Amino acid sequence: MKNKNKLILTIIALSLILTACSTPDENDSEDQTTLILGAYTTPREAYGEIIPLFQAYWLARTGETVVFEESYLGSGAQSRAVVEGFEADVVALSLEADVNRIQNTGLITHDWKANDTGGIVTTSIVAFAVREGNPLGIADWDDLTRADLEILTPNPNTSGGAMWNILALYGAALRGQVAGVPGDDPEAASNFLREVLSNVSVMDKAARDSILNFEMGIGDLAITYENEILVGRASGQTYERVIPSSTILIENPIAVVDASVDKHGTREVAEAFVAFLFTPEAQEIFAQHGLRIVNEDVAIASVGEYPAVDDLFTVAYFGGWANIMTEIFSESGVYNNAMLNLPGDAQ
Amino acid sequence: MTTKPRTLRAWALLFLVLLYVGFLILAPIGALLRGAFREGLSAVWESLSATPFLQSLWLSVWIALLVVLVQAVLGSITAWVLIRHDFIGKSLLNSLLDIPFAVSPVVVGYMLLLLFGRNGILSPLLERLEIQVAFAVPGMFLATLFVSLPFMVREMLPVVAQLDRSQEFAAATLGAGSWTRFWKVIFPHIKTALIYGMTLTFARALGEFGAVLVIGGGVQGRTETATLYIFRSLDERQNIDAYVGAVVLGCLSIGIVLLADALKRRSTK
Amino acid sequence: MDLTLSQGRRKSGFSTWFLRIPAFLYIGSMILIPVLVILQDGLREGLSGLIHQITLPIARYAIGLTLWTSALMTLINTIMGLATAYVLVRYDFPGKRILNAIIDLPLAIPSLVTGVMLVMLYGPQTALGAFLAEKLSLQIIFASPGIILALLFISFPFVVRTIQPVLQNLDFAQEQAAHTLGAGEWTTFRRVVLPALAPALLNGALLSFSRAIGEFGAVVVVAGNIPFKTQTAAVYVLGAVESDNRLGASAISIVLLAASTVTMLIAHRLQKSWSRSQ
Repeated sequence: MKNKNKLILTIIALSLILTACSTPDENDSEDQTTLILGAYTTPREAYGEIIPLFQAYWLARTGETVVFEESYLGSGAQSRAVVEGFEADVVALSLEADVNRIQNTGLITHDWKANDTGGIVTTSIVAFAVREGNPLGIADWDDLTRADLEILTPNPNTSGGAMWNILALYGAALRGQVAGVPGDDPEAASNFLREVLSNVSVMDKAARDSILNFEMGIGDLAITYENEILVGRASGQTYERVIPSSTILIENPIAVVDASVDKHGTREVAEAFVAFLFTPEAQEIFAQHGLRIVNEDVAIASVGEYPAVDDLFTVAYFGGWANIMTEIFSESGVYNNAMLNLPGDAQ
Repeated sequence: MTTKPRTLRAWALLFLVLLYVGFLILAPIGALLRGAFREGLSAVWESLSATPFLQSLWLSVWIALLVVLVQAVLGSITAWVLIRHDFIGKSLLNSLLDIPFAVSPVVVGYMLLLLFGRNGILSPLLERLEIQVAFAVPGMFLATLFVSLPFMVREMLPVVAQLDRSQEFAAATLGAGSWTRFWKVIFPHIKTALIYGMTLTFARALGEFGAVLVIGGGVQGRTETATLYIFRSLDERQNIDAYVGAVVLGCLSIGIVLLADALKRRSTK
Repeated sequence: MDLTLSQGRRKSGFSTWFLRIPAFLYIGSMILIPVLVILQDGLREGLSGLIHQITLPIARYAIGLTLWTSALMTLINTIMGLATAYVLVRYDFPGKRILNAIIDLPLAIPSLVTGVMLVMLYGPQTALGAFLAEKLSLQIIFASPGIILALLFISFPFVVRTIQPVLQNLDFAQEQAAHTLGAGEWTTFRRVVLPALAPALLNGALLSFSRAIGEFGAVVVVAGNIPFKTQTAAVYVLGAVESDNRLGASAISIVLLAASTVTMLIAHRLQKSWSRSQ
């Protein structure tokens, strides 16, 4: 008995020593470097394909191996993680405001918008995912206020995609593009927002989580990135895309985080990676994964998959993200007011 | 004194309990196993041999082992001090012990973030020492250490309390030094509880999720434990990966706990 | 388990502090400091700031949901845990060893896995889930029944394992006496066994309640995150952390911490008074 226990203890001690000796993380050694990517949830499949391409490209060009560490969270959550200490070298987020947040803490010191596309690497639009065959005949925004309709949209507090959804909804109403809602009337638009929000049954924390819920059978309709719908369909889902007559252009920024790349010594490869994302090769892949893109040549080639929108507007309609954050998403903003005063709510 | 159930009521009770346990515990496990094997054995093998999964499992295991090592030493010392020493604040210490058991894991992660995050209280110190705790393995280690703390100490307390001190005194009068007294007289008696505590700690550490999610961030290849891998797989619609991972993690933990139970039974024979 | 912490009579010396310092540092740094940090952060804007965060409608609902689901679960768990322990201790039946082993399973299974399993069994895409939703209008996933089920799973061992040893060690003579006086099993149970078990029952109940209010991994998967419907306090804290509502996160964390601590303190106090009256 004594010997057996000694044996057990020896095994435990040995395994502990072994684990202490072999650390699981890769250290940057010669000819190898690590690049950390912090992104929002939606483009993970696209990056899954682009990253190997970039790795091959970089190896051929410099003989150096690039190992990627990726993290995919809701855009707001990811942005805050970086602020909180997550040392991402490159951030690919859903909206400019989330990159601005990082910039405001001094982690980004260069002007990341100073390129042809203003720092935007991909675009998409807000659309609806409906069940196969569109049994409820959803066609446009006004259908969303139907009684007994269960809508899915993520939580704007954590999800960038959710913010885009709210902006599309509110913007379309303000622009008079929603049947039954007079244009240029903030009061009426707010009411419309309120009515739609009261139909929301699940508010998950990121765009991807939201569409996954939809796939599990929750809800009749999901407001989401067109991109999510297409990626889902590519992986076998049978829901359909409905593009409303008026919607917002989702512009996804990308930026190198100066503080991180300087600390890790990865500036060259980080900037090369970002530049790579604008090449036709990478943009093709984005297009294949449901994203509308910014490279004009590729955009023209894939137009069949991405129909034009009757009334497409951008954040410029609201006067930019600064205005949006104060007027719509602040504690006293339009969104919060709507949430607190949902019609017919026994809270 | 056990008997076979005698009355109809007794049989009904037994049946009710079996039904309850079957429905509450066995049914979900069955559903998981079915889901994992739904697409056949080759899919299961693919999931098992996926590098990100193995990496995450490795990370989970070695954080757990490290936690076990630290708990074994410090937890035992704490139990010893609580029983054998007298000091002010003893009952405070005793009550503090149970806090990790009841605290929500998210709160744990958040507390660590407040301490070690970029805007955290200790961040100036960490910057100077160039150590990264938040969004890195040290933070996850601390979080796991926190949540598993009570298991070891609570396991050791009764055993230390029941030690026969006359043996120690005898050894002391015979001239045995502290270390000899500990190793030859005390240790054999606490050995079983120590090992049992270590296995409980290991199982708990392996399954930690909420705290490591908040403090670690789930960065693939860097701070992704097995639990976070499962969580991520669900997000990527890689359901088989998630289910297989869940089965592996579950089996590992169950195996450890069953081992502990067997050890306990053997020692009380 | 009578743990008198009063064996100590150690005089201070070097070797005493050799042991004490690590213990103090350990508990101090691991537990005391994080708790103090969160208290300090939650009270950053004073008590009024804290109360404001707690009384926000969404927070109030989350706390309320957490408390009532945990309480209901504790009730069910106590009854069924008692039944299970009774059956295990008093009856002989095929498969008894297996049942005993199954009891410990929830302790070993990671909470996240619990959530995944429940979704796999009752999710709307499953036959069972669809049946329950349509025929019985019972939604389990993304609704409170799911939360209660998850909590039941996780807390199951606590009541059973707390009662088992007590039941085992009960003085059988009393029960035998009752039998010879003509009492049936149920009466014996009610009059003799139950009162003797009461402290352990209460202890187990408090333990499982305390464990349940902080549960995260299983709930986040099973319940989703619907404010005012299935958002528990722990999930709310995660949302608050991720959306930079730091005061809200700290405030609700303090509430959770206070609730579990109070529950555990009551359990300790009861255990002490019970062992004193033995």
